[in-house]
Amino acid sequence: MRTRWAAHIFGSAVLAFLMLPILAVVPASFNHQTFIRLPPETWSLRWYGRFFADREWLTSLWTSFEVAVISTLLSVALGTAAAIGLARLGGRLRALLTGLVLAPMIVPVIVTAVALYYLGRYWGLTGTVLGLSIAHVLTCLPFVVLNVGVSLRALDPNWLRAAEGLGASPARVFFTVTLPTILPGLFGGAAFSFISSFDEVTMSIFLAGITAKTLPVKMWETVRLEFTPVLSVASTLLIVLTIATFAAFRVAGRRT
Amino acid sequence: MTAALVLPAMLFLILCFVAPLLALFKLSVTAEQGWQWAYGQILGSSVYLRVFWNTLVIAFVVTVLSVILAYPTAYLLTLLKGWKLALAIYGVLFPLWISVLIRTFAWILLLEKNGPVNRLLVGSGLTESPIQFLFNNTGVLIGMVHVLLPYAILPIFANMLRIDGRLLLASDGLAASPWMTFRRIYLPLSMPGISAGAVFVFLLSLGFFITPALLGGINNLTVAMLIELLVNERLIWSQAAAASVLLLAAVGAFLAVTTRFVRLGAVLEAR
Repeated sequence: MRTRWAAHIFGSAVLAFLMLPILAVVPASFNHQTFIRLPPETWSLRWYGRFFADREWLTSLWTSFEVAVISTLLSVALGTAAAIGLARLGGRLRALLTGLVLAPMIVPVIVTAVALYYLGRYWGLTGTVLGLSIAHVLTCLPFVVLNVGVSLRALDPNWLRAAEGLGASPARVFFTVTLPTILPGLFGGAAFSFISSFDEVTMSIFLAGITAKTLPVKMWETVRLEFTPVLSVASTLLIVLTIATFAAFRVAGRRT
Repeated sequence: MTAALVLPAMLFLILCFVAPLLALFKLSVTAEQGWQWAYGQILGSSVYLRVFWNTLVIAFVVTVLSVILAYPTAYLLTLLKGWKLALAIYGVLFPLWISVLIRTFAWILLLEKNGPVNRLLVGSGLTESPIQFLFNNTGVLIGMVHVLLPYAILPIFANMLRIDGRLLLASDGLAASPWMTFRRIYLPLSMPGISAGAVFVFLLSLGFFITPALLGGINNLTVAMLIELLVNERLIWSQAAAASVLLLAAVGAFLAVTTRFVRLGAVLEAR
């Protein structure tokens, strides 16, 4: 009984330690002064106005959006096909290829970032939306393959055989049997891809150059220069966007 | 058919992941001064070696702290039901959705010299003057534990759920004290979760960049910070490549040893 009480007190404290510090950026964004004070002495929307009047911040928000959409579409297309293919393979080859898909999660991101930056300069990919999207696919692909892979287990091979036996073409089998079954996993993978692309910092600061700065890159550069309340505005907007994305994908996943 | 499904993703990974890594490796062994020059510069310099040592120490301390904080929290999760459980699970998962940059920035707000933490400490008389949390290893440890803690909680929780409660009742019925039951039954049975969590936290700590770069000081460089410095400030590409290869080798060696004892798949599923 005593251990249960101890677990409740200690565990709740740890959960608070996980949650609360993140939320500190929200009140900080409603500061009126030019320096951040927590909690603010006077509240205002002044820095939101500053954010939305600043071309650089808005451009970076738009770039982030473009990159997130492209890398999510690429990851879902490549990852869904790969997950279906991997499920059909057996033994060694499957283990090897799954390892290749998951490898970007294991290799330190800084190493991947420097490697892509080095080769990307020759390929003309630095400072472009396409270059950033390609880099982000590396982090997104494992999410899609894992999520779709899990939902594929719910697919009974007999359904496929039945559909084929009734004369359905492979495309028809895919759209009427396979796709509806894996759709929840597909939406889950897409949500994670969109968010992790929107949030990605390490590879982006190497590849962005001055022509394709995403919101996190702009935040990274700003935080190293000055300690302005605009940063907490950008953080708050990103938190709201993250929650909204997950909620939207969850609703979309339920509808289907 | 199967090949046509798998091939696009594999070609993409070979072209955009494997090839750049191989190019980086080639770069590390093709310095003008000879193939081993870049590695010699790093392994022969006490400054660089201290950076590697600092990275290992930070990764180790972060791992130990994370497991200590995660274990009772995971246990609490096994006790909760209904909306309380849902809330607690969201509490663990929510930070994972939020950008590392935001989580680190939040700690700058909280820990700065005139921030709320220091005002509380000075105001309550616990300390005479504000504590310097930022731009040293203290800040790095706080920030990294905060970011990596969910990776320790989730596998430990998943493991605890699989422990058969009847074993604890049996131990109780055989007149073992609660402490004895914990030490002889519960702890050994939750070991797979602990080691999986520890492996994952250590692995991620080794290559961590954003949090140490923002919360740490120039005197407490980690390998990731060193690589960035060599690329962007010093422009010595061959040494940056060599440091990257060494970091990758450390990660690979650590994985090769630990995967003999720990099923990493269990960790990935827990995510």
